[in-house]
This record gives sequence, C-alpha cells and structure tokens, in this order.
Amino acid sequence: MHPKSLLIATIALLMAGPGPAFAAGGHGHGQAHAHDTAAIGRPAAVSAARRTIRVEMHDNHFTPDTLRVKAGETIRFVVTNKGDFLHEFSLGTAAMHAEHQKTMAVMMEHGMLTPTGIDAERMKMDHSAMPGMDHGVGHDHANGVLVEPGKTADFAWTFDKTVDLEFACNVPGHYEAGMVGTVVIGR
Amino acid sequence: MHREPHTLSRRAALRLAAAAGLAGVVTAHAGRHAFAAADRALDLAVERTRITIDGETTRAIAIGGSIPAPTLRWREGEEVVVRVTNRLDEPTSIHWHGLLLEGVMDGAPGFNGFAPIMPGETYTYRFVLRQAGTYWYHSHSAGQEQEGMYGAIVIEPAGRDPVRADRDHVVLLSDHTAEAPAAVLRKLRISEGYYNNGRRTLVDFFRDAERDGFSATLRDRLAWGKMRMDATDLADVTGYRFLVNGKGVRDHWTGLFRPGERVRLRIINGSAMSIFDVRIPGLAMTVVAADGQDVMPVRVDEFRIGVGETYDVIVLAREDRAYTVFAEPIDRSGYARATLAPREGMAGEIPEQRPRTVLTMADMGMDHGGMDHGDMDHGGSDHAAMGHGAHGAHGGSAGHADPAPARAVGWADAATPPGAKALAYDDLQSLTRTADLREPAHVIDLRLTGMMSRYVWTLNGRAFDDGEPIRVAYGDRVRIRFINTTMMAHPMHLHGMFMELENGRTGRLPRKHVVLVPPGRTLSVLVTANEPGEWPLHCHLLYHMASGMMARFVVEPRAARL
Amino acid sequence: MKIVMIALGLLVLAATPVRAAGPEHAERFHEELPILATLRVERLEHRRYDGANTVDWRLHGWIGDGTNKLWFDSEGHRTTDGDVEEAEVRLLYSRMVSEFWDVQAGVRHDLRPRPQTTYGVLGVRGTAPWFIETSAHAFVAEDGALSARLEAEHDLLITGSLVLQPSVEVNLSSRRVHEREIGRGVTDVELGLRLRYEFAREFAPYVGVVWERKLGQTADLARAHGEDAGNLSFVTGVRFWF
Repeated sequence: MHPKSLLIATIALLMAGPGPAFAAGGHGHGQAHAHDTAAIGRPAAVSAARRTIRVEMHDNHFTPDTLRVKAGETIRFVVTNKGDFLHEFSLGTAAMHAEHQKTMAVMMEHGMLTPTGIDAERMKMDHSAMPGMDHGVGHDHANGVLVEPGKTADFAWTFDKTVDLEFACNVPGHYEAGMVGTVVIGR
Repeated sequence: MHREPHTLSRRAALRLAAAAGLAGVVTAHAGRHAFAAADRALDLAVERTRITIDGETTRAIAIGGSIPAPTLRWREGEEVVVRVTNRLDEPTSIHWHGLLLEGVMDGAPGFNGFAPIMPGETYTYRFVLRQAGTYWYHSHSAGQEQEGMYGAIVIEPAGRDPVRADRDHVVLLSDHTAEAPAAVLRKLRISEGYYNNGRRTLVDFFRDAERDGFSATLRDRLAWGKMRMDATDLADVTGYRFLVNGKGVRDHWTGLFRPGERVRLRIINGSAMSIFDVRIPGLAMTVVAADGQDVMPVRVDEFRIGVGETYDVIVLAREDRAYTVFAEPIDRSGYARATLAPREGMAGEIPEQRPRTVLTMADMGMDHGGMDHGDMDHGGSDHAAMGHGAHGAHGGSAGHADPAPARAVGWADAATPPGAKALAYDDLQSLTRTADLREPAHVIDLRLTGMMSRYVWTLNGRAFDDGEPIRVAYGDRVRIRFINTTMMAHPMHLHGMFMELENGRTGRLPRKHVVLVPPGRTLSVLVTANEPGEWPLHCHLLYHMASGMMARFVVEPRAARL
Repeated sequence: MKIVMIALGLLVLAATPVRAAGPEHAERFHEELPILATLRVERLEHRRYDGANTVDWRLHGWIGDGTNKLWFDSEGHRTTDGDVEEAEVRLLYSRMVSEFWDVQAGVRHDLRPRPQTTYGVLGVRGTAPWFIETSAHAFVAEDGALSARLEAEHDLLITGSLVLQPSVEVNLSSRRVHEREIGRGVTDVELGLRLRYEFAREFAPYVGVVWERKLGQTADLARAHGEDAGNLSFVTGVRFWF
C-alpha cells in the first residue's frame, strides 16, 4: 500500500462512522459505530482476501454499478478515482449512507474535505473542535475509502450476512446524483 | 456578409419547394442529407385551440396539439428534422431555447435570415444535436409563447449520463392568463401599475409604522415617492394562473414514483413573466444540472428560477406518501403546484405561502458604489443572502420545522426559513472544466435600462429598433457585464452560445443560456464567440422583450472586421 | 387665427415620424409596438351646490406610441337644466421629454361661454416626485391675452381598491377679460377631495367635496354680479377609461 493511500484509508477510518454518533454529540458513538458496521460484515486484512474487485470512480458514478459477492467471502476492493473530484467508496445500508452523508456535509462545510481532495491539516486541527469527530485513530473496521482524483486505494471486507447493501459515495450530492451501486450477496 | 447568401438561398429553395407542393421531401442543398436520413423527423402544427384550466376555458395556441407542446425526447448526436406548419392567421416561429445550432435554425424572426413562418406555410428545421440536457422550445413571435406555445426538450447524452435516476419527469412551469397578450401589453403601456394589486396602502403604512416607527416609515415612503418608484414592483403582470405541465392548482399534475426511487425532475420556467421560488416540502433537492448543463450536485431545500432557466434536480422520495412541488412567483400572487405521489389520485399538503418581499434602496442600486471592481460574483453573493441558512445545510434539512419569516426585505429575500438552504448562483459549478481559459479580449457593458412608468425597457438606453448591434469577432473570448440599473430582475438570454457565469468558480464556471440579473446588481459572464451569426440577446420577460429590451449580438468572421 | 394656424402646423410637423430608417423590414424583429390609444374620463360628476346643481366633466385621450402622442382634452360643465355653461377642448401634440414628463403644444378652443375663443397652448404634463400628477399649461388668446392653469392631484391608497384623491387647480390671467368675468392675477382656485372605489382599474365611482373660490378681481366681479366668490359642492361621480 502506498503511503498516500494509507493516509487516505486512515482518514476513511475517521469518517466511516455513521451519523447518529455525530448527531448525538459524541456520546456512545463508538458502540453505535461498531454495532452498525457489524450488521453488514467486518473489515479484514487485505492479505486475507481471496478475490479482488476493481471499481472505478467517475464524476459522479461507479463502474461497475453492481457487485456480486458471496456470504462469508472476503473481498479486496481496489478503487481508482478516474474523475476530477473527490469520491468515496463506502459499504452500507441505505440508512447508514443517509446518516453518513450528514457527517460528510459537515466535513465539507468545515473545509476538511474539498470538492477535489482532503485537507490533511484541517483534518488534524479541526476535528477536535467538532463534536463527533474525535474518534480514536485505531479503528480497524473501515467500511470504505476516500480517494482523491487520480489516486487508487484498497481495503478488504468480509461479507458474512445477507443484507441489502449499497456501495456509495457520500460526498455531498454524489449519492443523490446516482453515485451508488448495489452489492448482491449470494449464498 | 458571411452566411447570408447561403442561408437565404436555402430559404429561397425551401420556399420554391413549398410552392411546388414538395415541402417535406426536399432533399436539396449541398452538404445536407435527405430528410429520410435524419434520425428523427417530426411534424408540428401550430394552431388555435382552447385550454381548460381548473374549469376555466380560454383561447390558446398549441404546438403539436397540446399545451404544453409535446416533450421532445432526443439523443445527443442525432440529426433531427422538425416540420412546423403555421395554421394561425398570423406569423409564427419556434425557437429552440438553449440549443447550439446554425443561426437560421434558431427560429428568431429577423435574425440570421430567419423570416417568420407565414400563415399556411411549413418551415423545416433541421439540426444536429450537439449537446445533452433539459431545454425547451417556444414561439419567438409576438405574445404567442404566453398563449401556450412552449414545450420541453430532453436530450439524452450520447455517453453515460453522469446522473442516474429511476424516474424522469419534466416539470414545466408557466403562467397563463385569459387576456390576450396584446391586451396585456397595451394595459402595461397605458397604465404601468395596472396589474399591481399589492401596492403599499395607508393600512400598510400604519402596520409598518407600528413596527418600524412612524418617522422611519414616513421617510421610507417619501424616499420611494421622491423617486416615483414602487417598492412592490416585483412583477408587471398579475391575474395569472400558474401551471405545471399545463395543469392548474386544482387539476394539479401528478408525477408518479415508487418509494425509494431516485426521481429526476427537469424543472423548466416557461413562463412569460414569472420568476418562481420552488420547493418540495419534506424533500431535499439535489441540483444536478442548470440550463441543461451538468453541474456539481448541490443539495438545496429551495431555489429561485428565472424565466427561461432550467434546473434538473434529484429527489429521493423514500416514503409512501404524496409530496407537493410548490412554486411561488416572487410577487406571491398565487402559486403553481404539482404532486409527486406513489399513486394517481393523491394530493400532498399545500404549504402556506411565503410573504412577499418589499424592495429596498439596495435593489435600486443605491448602495453599490464598489460594484465595478471585478466583483463578479456580487450578484451571486446577493443571491446567497436569500438563503439565510446557507451554512446550515447539514446535508439537507428538508422537512425542517422552522417557520418561514413573517416578512421579507429586498429582492433576493425569498423568506427562506432559518436552517434551510436556498440555491445561490455561487453554488453552481460546472461538472466539466471551462474549455476556454483565455482572458476576455474585451468587455461589453450592457446596462439594463428602462423607464418603468412608461413601460419602456431598453439595453444601454436604446430600444431594439434604435440600438446598435453588439459586434464581436469570431473566436474571441468576451466578457459581458449585465449592469442592472432598474428595480426589476431581468433574466437575460443569449441565443446560440452558452454564457459562462463568473460566479467565482474559476475553471468550472457554470454554463448558462439565461442569467437572472437582480435589480441594482451587476452580473458578469464570459462568452466564446464561436457561433457565427446574428444572435438575439434579450430579457426573457416577454413584455420587456416586446417593448424593446433586446439587442443583436453579432459574431463576425475575422476577415470582415477590418 | 394666426396662432391656431401656427399651432396646427407645429402639430402636423411634430406628428411626422422622426425615426431614422432602420434595417430593412425583414431583418427587424417583426413585432413592432402597436400604436396605442386610450380615452380616460377622469371625472364625470354631479355637483350639488347650495343653489343650482351642475354636471361636470373632465376627460382626456391620446393616440400614439410611447414617445409621440396626439392628445385630446375636454372639460366643462352644464347645469342640470341643460345649459352648457363652460366647455373647452384641447388638441395637443404631446412629446415625451423624460421618463416622467411630456411637453405639450397645440390649440384650445372654448365652445362655451360665447363668444367662442381659441387659444394657443404650451405646457407640461407628468408625474412630479411623490407621485403628484401635475400639469401646467399656458394659453395665448387670439387677442394676445395670456392665461395659465396648474393642476395637481395625488392618489392616496387606503386599501388596494379604495383611493383618496386630493386635487388642486389654480387659474391665472394676465389681464382682465370682461366677457369671461375674469380679473387679472390669480382668478380662482379649486380644491377637491374624492374618494373612489376601484371595482376594476378601469371603473371607479366616487364621492367627494369640491371647494371653488374666486380670488382678487375675479372675486370682485362675481360679487358685483351678486354671486358668491366661494362655493362648496358635494360630488358624486364616476371615473372610467378604455
């Protein structure tokens, strides 16, 4: 993994938390977070993956827009941003994405994210001042990555349940514009 | 002259063919295919009809048998042929609003060699679609557009649409009056304030005096009186019924969705005179295109749409319920209403109407001394002021419980509730990069001028018939500054080319065919003059254009410019 | 009569289109603004005095484009038993000189009282600041006598339809005119206050009071004839236009 991708992935960790934590002012968010992502599977080491799925990000859509996995399967996702803007690849239910979009909107407002990238400095400086943004950096259950234009990132995920899953970009407006796809979990 | 010989001879050929009874099978001229080779061919008749809106039947003019005219669904790259037959007893025309095409096909009488389509005549439009998106078409003759001659154009992109939706609805806003347009214009010219039913009265005076104090209120009234201006002059014409897709408030048009679907609404303001504030209580809207051109998605709760503008928005209607698309003209003299529902026969709740704003001295351009210092996004910032909660977007606050303020002050104030996000011009950012990054070769100042009390509307103080054309050289990059010296907003429309609005989004300026210039403000646009011909540049308020607010924007071949 | 001829000549000259030849017709935006015409009966009212009652009228009409108009005025009154005591008509060329002002020139002819009199007219008409509708005209009679009339009125909106209109009219004369019982100086003043209800913009009945007062020599003349110098009347009338 490239150092830059590592940074991106780390930041993704920061943000992967679903929204209720933020909205609730930071209380008990850790549990909520863990609980929510647990409902859709669990993060895995990239080395544990047997299969790799490559996804391209464009402005503003994914190719392909349907992914097929099997319950119990661990997948390494290699995500390349071929667009001009910052995009996210995030696994979750529609409700998780809706909550996550609120967090992303706040980060955009505070300049931690820009339409084209991540402001690493602001990420460090600002988030302590923001309720809900003070997750510890050691989350090991990333359910997605943020990828700057022209960059590639990867992560792995184990799908152990059959749920209605979407992979989505929650950068403000992108989900609504259709930057979302379906994860079909087979048996 | 560059193209005239060509276009005139073509026109002559068509006339000859028509005379010989061959209209429709003409194949003839160099560089063109036979009609049979066109990807799409369409016949549209323009004829008198009657339209019934909420039970009231009035005279109207239909294109293709309906009001609005049929939605034309085309694909980028196609060549289309449209044969328009005039069954009226007056000249007519059809203009393809926002489309890039050869001048004579633009359909503006008196420009690019296009002559009006005379009664009984058929004119054949033929052009290749060089763009995708939401546009519209309408008459460019007399007041015919007001009488029903408008329809939507939806062009699917040749490649993948950057926006994905499960449903696609056209939401065409218009204003309809039982009065003949000529009668409306006559009344405006004889008695400019004829239609203003909301002028401030003694009753208002005492109400304001109670709130602001007697002397402040008196000073305000005296200041307006001294200028012989009316702070309630937001719209010239009232008595309108406001329609969505030709349906009134009672008959309300319904667009269907299945809960959870991603619905694309192509909202077009095809009114003659009405600027609308649009919202869908309970649903956030993500603006994905403006004037047919893709923009970076912006999530908003409401937006203001000028006459001739279009916005494509996406809504995610998750619940199994009816929603109301609510569009109020800025003078709040009524509203247009449509329903989004999972089934026919449902009706969403109708929200309370927002208060009408009252103009201020700022709208008169009284406090903008520093306007001319390259402050190009001034108008946009002003727009931003209308969303008090521009920073409170929080990823969409649709359904916010905050009530709208009881009163609005200044043109830009839509009485947006705190916490709600209203679209500002500054939010618009093209999805594609600005292609032409050259500095403008020169600046064209276009003062939007008028004499309200006489109902005379002009550009740089000159009515169309008396004005000099604006001349630019082919290929030049120019800046046009719309300097609004009047107290009304003017949706300025350039035919033939997109204007790139200088809203601070350098490198991704939104491409617009109409820019709504607020009263007393200056907006600036960049244009690459890459479409030769003589293009109308005019205020899209029908009666402003009719009273002279138009200029000829001539893109001349370089050789001829010595 | 010479003045009349000159005035008519001016009128004809002025009404000649002055617009320079534009591009050929086919190249123009084909919708030309139509010539407008309107007729406004500003007052048609019954005045109830202490003594005899009268019917008074004041109307104007014009035809033209926004800039140049052929203007027609008429005003006068008749007693309720049918005698027209005063009747004047004016035919003017009216030209826009600014957003709010027209300059007017032409002729005035008084049909009553007899003998009939003809005047040359020069004046302005428009909207003064604070929306005061104003007109000021000077008249030159055939014998060279100068007179003038100033009128001003203002619409005060009580509600959108209920309008209170104060008005004032002042007449002046440069010399004494025996036939008309007019003295030198300010001859008379008329103050009006009318309350109208606009059922439509074009149609509004009204009630009001009018106070007329002859002044100076004119007042003396009136008194000499056994008339009152001042008169108060209650009016009911209608205002309409097309």
